Amino acid sequence: MTDAEKDKGYRILRTRGLTMRFGGVTAVDNVDFDLRDGELRCLLGPNGAGKSTFFKCLTGQLVPSEGQVMLKEQPITGRNTHEIVNMGVGIKTQVPNVFDGITVYENVRLSARRKNTAGIARDVAEATIEKCGIKHLIKREVGQLAHGQRQLVELAMVLASAPDLILLDEPAAGMTGDERDRLAQLVLEAARSAAVIVVEHDMQFIRQIAKFVTVFNRGAIFREAMIDDIMRDRAVQEIYLGKQADAAA
Amino acid sequence: MERSLTRDPGFWIMVVIGLVLLIMGPILIDMFTIMQITQYVVLSVFALSLAYIWGFGGILSFGQAAFFGLGAYAFAVSSISLGDTTLPLVLSFVIPAAFGVALGYFMFYGKLSDVYLGVVTMVVTLIFWKLANHTAGPEYSIAGVRLGGFNGIPSIPTINIPGQPDAWLDPAQLFRFFMGVLIVVYIALRILIASDFGRISIGIRENETRAALLGYDIRRHKVIVFAIGSGIAGLSGAMWATYQSFIDPNAFSMEMSAKALIWVMAGGVGTLLGPILGVIGLQWLTLQMGMVEFLNSLVVLGAIMMVLVLALPKGLVPTFKSLGIAGWTLWRRGRGVSGGVKKVTSDD
Repeated sequence: MTDAEKDKGYRILRTRGLTMRFGGVTAVDNVDFDLRDGELRCLLGPNGAGKSTFFKCLTGQLVPSEGQVMLKEQPITGRNTHEIVNMGVGIKTQVPNVFDGITVYENVRLSARRKNTAGIARDVAEATIEKCGIKHLIKREVGQLAHGQRQLVELAMVLASAPDLILLDEPAAGMTGDERDRLAQLVLEAARSAAVIVVEHDMQFIRQIAKFVTVFNRGAIFREAMIDDIMRDRAVQEIYLGKQADAAA
Repeated sequence: MERSLTRDPGFWIMVVIGLVLLIMGPILIDMFTIMQITQYVVLSVFALSLAYIWGFGGILSFGQAAFFGLGAYAFAVSSISLGDTTLPLVLSFVIPAAFGVALGYFMFYGKLSDVYLGVVTMVVTLIFWKLANHTAGPEYSIAGVRLGGFNGIPSIPTINIPGQPDAWLDPAQLFRFFMGVLIVVYIALRILIASDFGRISIGIRENETRAALLGYDIRRHKVIVFAIGSGIAGLSGAMWATYQSFIDPNAFSMEMSAKALIWVMAGGVGTLLGPILGVIGLQWLTLQMGMVEFLNSLVVLGAIMMVLVLALPKGLVPTFKSLGIAGWTLWRRGRGVSGGVKKVTSDD
């Protein structure tokens, strides 16, 4: 595919030559990434592959060393986080980023209130909490919850803001089987109205939700293919499992 | 889901106690004690300024005295110059608040971390203190009022009835007026904290990154919180200046900033009642220690602070509130009454 063909058509997210260096370490290396409106994409890759750094560059938490990020065809490189978020981005970070000292309801309501009046925000918060299956925790202080429950609270915060692009960084980590199944349903439901990128290591979870997958390795895009092809790809197994793949073969 | 402020019994108890003290205080209590309490009231307003920005905005200022002093000097100069205290009282809020906006802009838009924020606010206070000490000459005058260097500004007028410069308030009226200011500041802060703006402030205090990831401009929000706290500190400075009829550069001293920190820490960060109790308890203790020759009040206050930080790290009010709720729950369980443990909220 030529560059001209690649650039054709509307993309909710587009990166070109995106690079993030920390001193001598290149965490994200010349990444060209495209995401269509309403697409659900999974990002795979071993620890340290640059997936979370990539997310931070997309949301303005890090200013890329080089390259450009386009959201809804508008350049957002170097913009402040809140400006990018207000353009319609919601992110669940790798370590749950929640307000520990206040209740589940207040957490979700603060998210819903950003775009809604007080009355609508209350309804949105209550509906989202119920949808995420954490209604029984609604009055609990978030700092007292288990890791998996905190993950669901953060997901509820993301969904309550009704973003057009949802970034989920390891959302299934620390969840029980039931919580993971519910999460898969929620992600698939969210993907009906928004573009979604999910970073995850849990292959069972990825199989539940993903069709098209991008594999990161050493900061760069290593493969982009359908999930079944990725699972069969020896080179992908190699970067995930290293020498063990050879030994097993 | 939301608990309305008007349905919070703690809020009403505080307001009623304040109003009873305002009305009955000068009738039931002797004038010397009333004047002593007036001092506590003024310093309580000062403590509330830090209690708000630190406890509900997550901004730890080591230089709250800068705004206290600025308000005091603004009031002193303008009231002497104008011969009336109404506009100067307004200016004592507006000028420090405007300075708070300017300083806050550089600190928060410059993305200073908490440690540097503490250092900057402390240094600004020291600069003001040094500057005020070097204004002894006749060339240092504003609107014909000499700043007086380390001798300060004497003969600051007592509060007068608006539009009647000669109708000064007597000590009982002054107490009632200041008590009214304290009640209004308390109510205003409680309303602000319960509002959406206040909830976002608490969110920013809890987790700045998440607040930004929800789309809130944390820099602008912090500047506003800081400016409100600066204005309240300035207002308390004006109250202090008129109460003493005198102000000197010690209004900008590190001791004033440190005292505010101690009051808030002792009473409990994240409450408004705690810092008021901190002022009353520690100022009363300081007064008692002043009567004992071999005790240095600052050393003793420091020691008390260390004990409190080690024994009651959350401060008096949050600790006793938790104990009270735990005791109440045990009592109810003992009587076989069902019901969950009530969460300890961060407000009063």
